[in-house]
Amino acid sequence: MFTPNDQMRLARAYVPFQIFSKRLDPMEGLLKGTIFPELYFPYRGHKR
Amino acid sequence: MWIYEKKLQYPAKVGRANVQMAKYLITQYGGPDGELAASMRYLTQRYHMPTPQAKGILTDIGTEELAHLEIIATLVYKLMDRASLEEIKAAGLGAYYADHDRALYFVNGEGVPWTAAYIQSKGDPVADLHEDMAAEEKARATYEWLIDLSDDPDLNDTLKFLREREIVHFQRFGEALQIVQEYLDTKKYF
Repeated sequence: MFTPNDQMRLARAYVPFQIFSKRLDPMEGLLKGTIFPELYFPYRGHKR
Repeated sequence: MWIYEKKLQYPAKVGRANVQMAKYLITQYGGPDGELAASMRYLTQRYHMPTPQAKGILTDIGTEELAHLEIIATLVYKLMDRASLEEIKAAGLGAYYADHDRALYFVNGEGVPWTAAYIQSKGDPVADLHEDMAAEEKARATYEWLIDLSDDPDLNDTLKFLREREIVHFQRFGEALQIVQEYLDTKKYF
């Protein structure tokens, strides 16, 4: 489970800030929909 | 002000015409979680955002959603291309044909016309950014159901691109939310 730190309060939603680190090359980024590998979450399909 | 580039943000290819798939896909044109709703929502809400970052993110993403609207329009058009009346009737688009021929119109998959009631502009930036994040998740889920419904690898390639953009947008709205919440917190104590 996610543990809150002292910067956080209840009844509030948090999305961590993205820190710039790696970058894909532009063509690969275009094909994937993002140049940031840490934001790439492809759809694998639902098992039903 | 906008500058128009006469090209699509991402190629919009289809393997074959498929009227049934056009009927499903049109919800991303004029449905409740579609690209028109997304674009209009963000471009309207941006005026009451309290920080320049939040205004900028809503402007940028609202603009990109217009580019997605154009991709969806192209895909639906290609899926309907040269469809016979028999195919149109078989796909349940006879009533659509009566109103629109093969032209594009802002409807969901059931033919319900787009309405501003799909979107909100609450005036409370925290409430509105939450709506925007939810909108991105709903659009992502819609793309996943559409990919499930489609057996066309070319079409799915474009749908996967658009789905990934929703994830990136969610991240950006989440960052905007943190900025806005921190701004409102500091404002409160001075």
